[in-house]
Amino acid sequence: MTQENALRILKSLSDASRLRIIQSLTQGEMYTELLAERLGLTPSTVSFHMKKLEEAGLVVSRKDQYYTVYALNREVLEMSLSDLAASRPEQADEQQKREDEYRQKVIDTFFEYGRLRSIPVQLKKKRICYEVIADQFVPGKEYSEKELDEIIEAVHEDYCTIRRDMISEGILKRDGGRYVRIR
Amino acid sequence: MKEFIEYLTQRIEAGKEEIEALEAEGRRDDADFAKVKTNIYDVCRTVTNALRERPGAGAAAVKAQLDRFSISWNEALEKAREHDDAKNIVVGETKMEALRDVIAHFPEVES
Repeated sequence: MTQENALRILKSLSDASRLRIIQSLTQGEMYTELLAERLGLTPSTVSFHMKKLEEAGLVVSRKDQYYTVYALNREVLEMSLSDLAASRPEQADEQQKREDEYRQKVIDTFFEYGRLRSIPVQLKKKRICYEVIADQFVPGKEYSEKELDEIIEAVHEDYCTIRRDMISEGILKRDGGRYVRIR
Repeated sequence: MKEFIEYLTQRIEAGKEEIEALEAEGRRDDADFAKVKTNIYDVCRTVTNALRERPGAGAAAVKAQLDRFSISWNEALEKAREHDDAKNIVVGETKMEALRDVIAHFPEVES
């Protein structure tokens, strides 16, 4: 168990509504609507809490026709506090981890459902957003300007600015009328 | 319109009590959703106060603004549902539920 997972478990349990959900599930499998009725919450609020519990590995779900049925994951639930306290950070370099977290924060701020909300002003953030857009291009593959613009436009309407910036940032290379992703 | 503003104020006060009670119970996320709901009543009261006395605005302008909220918040909710975004589904449903209640209590606008 990594420290990250242990923290996720502890955070998800530090909410009385989620503890009540766990208590209800000790009686057996239950679907969202039934839990909502029992706990006096809306089904969407129960779904929100279930997602947190599922991400922490405390519950598992399965589809049963139109319903999502939830059950406790006994293996995780029966861990002791000493098991959680003994968890260790992942081996990944701390600096790298911080950078990954920063990158993810920028992505979460500037992207919504795959669309770029606005072009960041700060260069570091702009680079991160352009790298995300660059993932749409196969490295080494040549694109016409029209193909390139269509792909960028699906992410943000100002495809001209983004295309120019990606070239000046060394993400794309223009050779004649063809474009190639170089990093 | 005075009664309508009083209703919104009453809902804001009730919302504050609900937030306090949920926080005291240790239901932090549910308290956050109650804050979203209370904020909607607050936004609607601010809009009403700002528009009702403005020359050329009045009750019809308030109602038009509430209808605009309804369209844009409903779009955001649909988008959240489309992407199975659990948190924003709850936020969107909470906002729409509060707005429906606000509109239901809005006084008849004379044409």
